[in-house]
Amino acid sequence: MSLSLYLPLAGNSINILLLFGLGGLVGFLSGVFGVGGGFLLTPLLIMAGIPSTVAAASDSNQIVAASTSGTYAHWRLGNVDFKMGIILIIGGVIGGTLGVYLIKALRAMGDADFVIKITYVVMLGGIGGYMFVEALQSLRRKPVERKKTVTEPAKVSRYNRLVQSLPYQMKFEKSGVTLSPVMPLILGVLVGILAAIMGVGGGFIMVPVMVYMLRMPMHVVVGTSLFQILFTCINVTIMQAATNFTVDLVLALILLLGSTIGAQFGVRLSKRLKGDQLKILLASIVLLVMVQMLLSLVLPPYLLLGHKGGH
Amino acid sequence: MKARSLALLLWLCWGLPAPALAGSDPFELQVRPDLVEIGAFFNGHDVKISGNIPSGAQAVVEITGPAAAEHLMRKGRRGGLWMNVGKVEVQGAPSLYLAASTSPPLLKAPPAGAVWGYPALKQQIRFAGQVKPEERDRFLDQFFQLKESEEIYGAFPGGLKVKAGPQNLQTVTVRIPLPTKVKPGTYRVCLTVVQGDKVIGQQCCDLKVVMVGFPAMLASLAYGHGATYGILAVVIAIVTGFAMGYLFKGGGGH
Repeated sequence: MSLSLYLPLAGNSINILLLFGLGGLVGFLSGVFGVGGGFLLTPLLIMAGIPSTVAAASDSNQIVAASTSGTYAHWRLGNVDFKMGIILIIGGVIGGTLGVYLIKALRAMGDADFVIKITYVVMLGGIGGYMFVEALQSLRRKPVERKKTVTEPAKVSRYNRLVQSLPYQMKFEKSGVTLSPVMPLILGVLVGILAAIMGVGGGFIMVPVMVYMLRMPMHVVVGTSLFQILFTCINVTIMQAATNFTVDLVLALILLLGSTIGAQFGVRLSKRLKGDQLKILLASIVLLVMVQMLLSLVLPPYLLLGHKGGH
Repeated sequence: MKARSLALLLWLCWGLPAPALAGSDPFELQVRPDLVEIGAFFNGHDVKISGNIPSGAQAVVEITGPAAAEHLMRKGRRGGLWMNVGKVEVQGAPSLYLAASTSPPLLKAPPAGAVWGYPALKQQIRFAGQVKPEERDRFLDQFFQLKESEEIYGAFPGGLKVKAGPQNLQTVTVRIPLPTKVKPGTYRVCLTVVQGDKVIGQQCCDLKVVMVGFPAMLASLAYGHGATYGILAVVIAIVTGFAMGYLFKGGGGH
């Protein structure tokens, strides 16, 4: 019997082991870093011969499974801040809706593709570069210096003053931070706009936002990010299936079997790694994707004609 | 000759039958199987095509899909970066085109006015949108390259094998691989017989491709009840996620 499986909505057949392996790899990364992995899996599926629209939509469906599994695992470990997650989800939904309208307006002007590509490169490069440098500096710092840093009186930055001046300050016990819900709501809106423009779940933007702007501990960030991604991807899957008919359940099922298993191994590894090591690994992957995208923008393409969809 | 070429072109575009060229069964054209089923483990399918042609003649076999408008994107440089810069509508191009010939030059460099091969397709394909008239030939070549990379266009010069047949005839045979991306529908298989540079006859028949079993059921649910299908997909994903999470609960600790 052939190891190939026919995907009715993708209109193509593909090797089961290849799909299982791709799902496993991305699920593993999802479990380690708390990112959905859409920014990695969609291009990989397109390379494997899946139409870009089907790849993106089916990917969302498999992320639902991977993030359910990952959220469940992190919840058992006490790493999910539901209060923070719900506020970020509300912000993300508002931002996502605004982003969809923004893209519609840009498409009408004919500049959507340019904005999408540039946003991708700038966001991936900025976030990946900052996270990499910051985590590397933190790792290189000697333990004595670290101790000193802790005992020194903390400088109150302009950003901290702004955060503290916002109304309705509340304590987020799981994250160990006290801040106004307005802050995560605004950040959720901004990430939602970017996620809609870029056509991804937004995990790789949300994780650094939670670490650097909401000052949440890395392990709570991973669980909370997965919780937020779960709801984003449920919405995307249903919308794509109902309006564009691009969710291939067979494709998603094979991917999710691989990814849910991969996610469990990822969660285990994430507990063994230090926060800075996690950051450096995620930053390296983000930067690799950025370089690949930059090359595709700079180097002349093999063909001057291509299909619609996907970026 | 011009009128006959035009008639053949029209016929290739799913119009009129080719007059005076196709008798009831002049070349005993056979297509096996004439019905291809796309099931759960479909991975493309070889189609064996055979026929009997007069001794000394040459032949071309074509499998052609119905023409439909296709929307593509043109890439270009903007601000020093390569990206999609405009829409291109391709009209009159068959959805599938696979051809094989007895003699390689018949497909590689067909005679002027030939009704087969890429040069004949070039006559019937039209571009609308971001392609200037002077860019037409360049973009036709780009279009063929794109389709060949997707394996839905292909030419096999010399792929049609010839051996001695009954009486004063020779038998031509070829196995053409239908790609995994073939869509359900009715395709036209034609055997065109050539003597020198002239077409001396043509016979065609249908090749049906249908989706069956689980893929057919899933496609019907997805296209007929999109929202239900989406909710089902989410429920399956959540249940699988929880099940996998539960299964891994006991294994390996932290």
